[in-house]
Amino acid sequence: MLLAALLCYAGFTALCLSMDRHHAELLGHKPTPRRRFGLKLLGWLLLSWSLWAAVVAAGWGSGLVQWFGMLMLSALLLVLLMPYRPHLALSLAGLCLLASPIAVFARY
Amino acid sequence: MNAKPRTLPVSYRLAVASRVLAAVFGGYLVAALVSVSLSLWLPGARAEAVVIGMMTSFLVYLLAVIWCFACASAWRAWFGLMVPGLMLAALAGLAHGMGRP
Amino acid sequence: MKEGFRQAMAWLHTWAGLILGWLLFAIFLTGTLAYFKSETSRWMQPEIPVRSVSAETSLTVAQHYLEQHAAGASHWLIELPGARRQGLSVHWEAAAGKPGQHGEQLLDPLTGTEVHPRETLGGEFFYRFHFELQMPYPWGRWLASIAAMLMFVALISGIITHKKIFKDFFTFRPRKGRRSWLDGHYAVGVLVLPFHLMITYSSLVMFMMMVMPAGILAVYKDNAQTFYQEALPEDEVRPAVGNPGQLLSLAPLLEQANRLGTGGRVAEVTVNHPGDANASVVMAFDGADRVVHDFGRTVTFDGVTGRQLDATPERSLPVAIAGSFFGLHMGHFASPVLRWLYFLCGLAGTAMIGTGMVIWVGKRQLKHAQSAGMPLELRLVDVLNIASMSGLMLAVATYFWANRLLPVAMAGRSDWEVNGFFIVWGLSLLHAMLRRGRAAWVEQLALAALLFGAVPLLNALTTPYHLGMSLAQSDGAMAGFDLACLASGLFFAWSAWKIRRSGRTQAVSTKRPRSMVLEQEAN
Repeated sequence: MLLAALLCYAGFTALCLSMDRHHAELLGHKPTPRRRFGLKLLGWLLLSWSLWAAVVAAGWGSGLVQWFGMLMLSALLLVLLMPYRPHLALSLAGLCLLASPIAVFARY
Repeated sequence: MNAKPRTLPVSYRLAVASRVLAAVFGGYLVAALVSVSLSLWLPGARAEAVVIGMMTSFLVYLLAVIWCFACASAWRAWFGLMVPGLMLAALAGLAHGMGRP
Repeated sequence: MKEGFRQAMAWLHTWAGLILGWLLFAIFLTGTLAYFKSETSRWMQPEIPVRSVSAETSLTVAQHYLEQHAAGASHWLIELPGARRQGLSVHWEAAAGKPGQHGEQLLDPLTGTEVHPRETLGGEFFYRFHFELQMPYPWGRWLASIAAMLMFVALISGIITHKKIFKDFFTFRPRKGRRSWLDGHYAVGVLVLPFHLMITYSSLVMFMMMVMPAGILAVYKDNAQTFYQEALPEDEVRPAVGNPGQLLSLAPLLEQANRLGTGGRVAEVTVNHPGDANASVVMAFDGADRVVHDFGRTVTFDGVTGRQLDATPERSLPVAIAGSFFGLHMGHFASPVLRWLYFLCGLAGTAMIGTGMVIWVGKRQLKHAQSAGMPLELRLVDVLNIASMSGLMLAVATYFWANRLLPVAMAGRSDWEVNGFFIVWGLSLLHAMLRRGRAAWVEQLALAALLFGAVPLLNALTTPYHLGMSLAQSDGAMAGFDLACLASGLFFAWSAWKIRRSGRTQAVSTKRPRSMVLEQEAN
């Protein structure tokens, strides 16, 4: 569940940054078309990977339930953090990416 | 809503009431008819068909309700429910006549 | 109605949400509380001792007790303590013809002595209320199902009408008044949509046999019972034969059942005709190892020889699909982390409904800001909002306070705990009618803050199981409950403060300068 959660949060942050408005809010300028595409791709890849991680860890039944749970939790966290602590929201995403290789071995 | 008149005309209220009746009762009827048709026509064990019919019926009810308020007039609401309703009733009658399940 | 699909759906969303919105708020809130019903029951009956003994020991203790007190009964039921259920309880049913009794008793699984905790419904009250609505059978369930269908319509029409659902996916702009409320409604709605859709649709499925029986009637005509037997085949109970037979020790059978590996751990043991040669032992599993709810999965043994007689066959696919809806809704399988997530999602759903209702009133209040009073329907919605939201919180707090304040030995105390809930809810409605909108909100929320925040103190003053002790003993249920109440109290205090403050600034900004001084004095 932990790995799925980390990847979900990072993935959602990437997708969020791929939008002009939020990219400007968080990083100060609008993204280039290439960056926009790259972030969208990265975001979707991370979300897919999190689904795979959840299913591998807990099977299709429990895995899907856990994945949706992590999906909703991470989306809520990101959306509520952004207006109050935008820098924290971004750093958290970075932290999630860094921590994910460790989580792979945590097997939780 | 934007440009609503100070008091709503009676014809508007009647149309809304008509759509509501169609959605609530007509919608339920169509949903029930779908569940009956599925129960009678789906292959396999009859208990399983009944369960599938019941689970599907709520989706049908939802679509019927949306139809009743999305279509262009209250008449269309009723018409749009009656036509499938009659067809489903015919299907169910056919199954009954054939001795299914 | 002719303005287009999206607008028609907006109209439908508003009305479907408004008609039973207050009821839906109550259903969602009590349903959310029900996810922690075991912990709530534990807090409300702190006298039940916490023991960590094996299931086999508990079963042996129960068997000894029943052999002493209910040897002639026709059936025994033993509910084993589990991860989320303290206390071992036994029930027995009288044999036909014998002047026996039926009864039930809570036992200490370690010592076998009887336990007499204070009489209360505990968390079960919230669980039952959220689908029976304190109404006689079957009216409450019907009303709850109608509300569920309206919720379904409101959800889908809301999705259709939310034009910028993808563009505004991550948008939340606080501190902007009405805009923030709308953003908040979208956030708790869209971001938690999988849960909302699942919980709503599954609630319809759970009552489908009652609300949509047409298929059963068409296929089975008069023999509806046959449907249940075909869909959920159950093992036949062997009748008593009349000859005595020595009942085996049940603990080894328990071990055997648990070793079968499917369905989780055994949660209930039923003994049919104990002491008879045809006695049978039915072990029912808790199903906590899987998402799909296994309707009554059991394994049956011969009570005298110990031979395995029967096991519930695998359910058919459609029944398993229905089971998955049941399982997802109830969340029996949920680990502590997932359970908190269920709780959070439930709160989000509650907030979605609440914000929707408040936004509706707020939008129309703006139109009537300059006039003397509000039109009747607006005032009605405003009063019902206050009573069904902050009033409901007060009622919940009263339920907990009643549990601690009513004498333990008082007769009918569980009824009075429930009465307290409804009396205070009714009083909150009266209060909302007598006070102007904003004042009513602030006063009720402030009182809720006080009542919830003081729960740990109340607990410490009325029982020996206070927060300090429960934290020291890592008693998750007791400590968690106290802390959750404290956190709720802080949240309500913050809400009351925010509403009071926004009332002041709004009064200053919307009135013309000449009347400003007078307005401020009035406030």
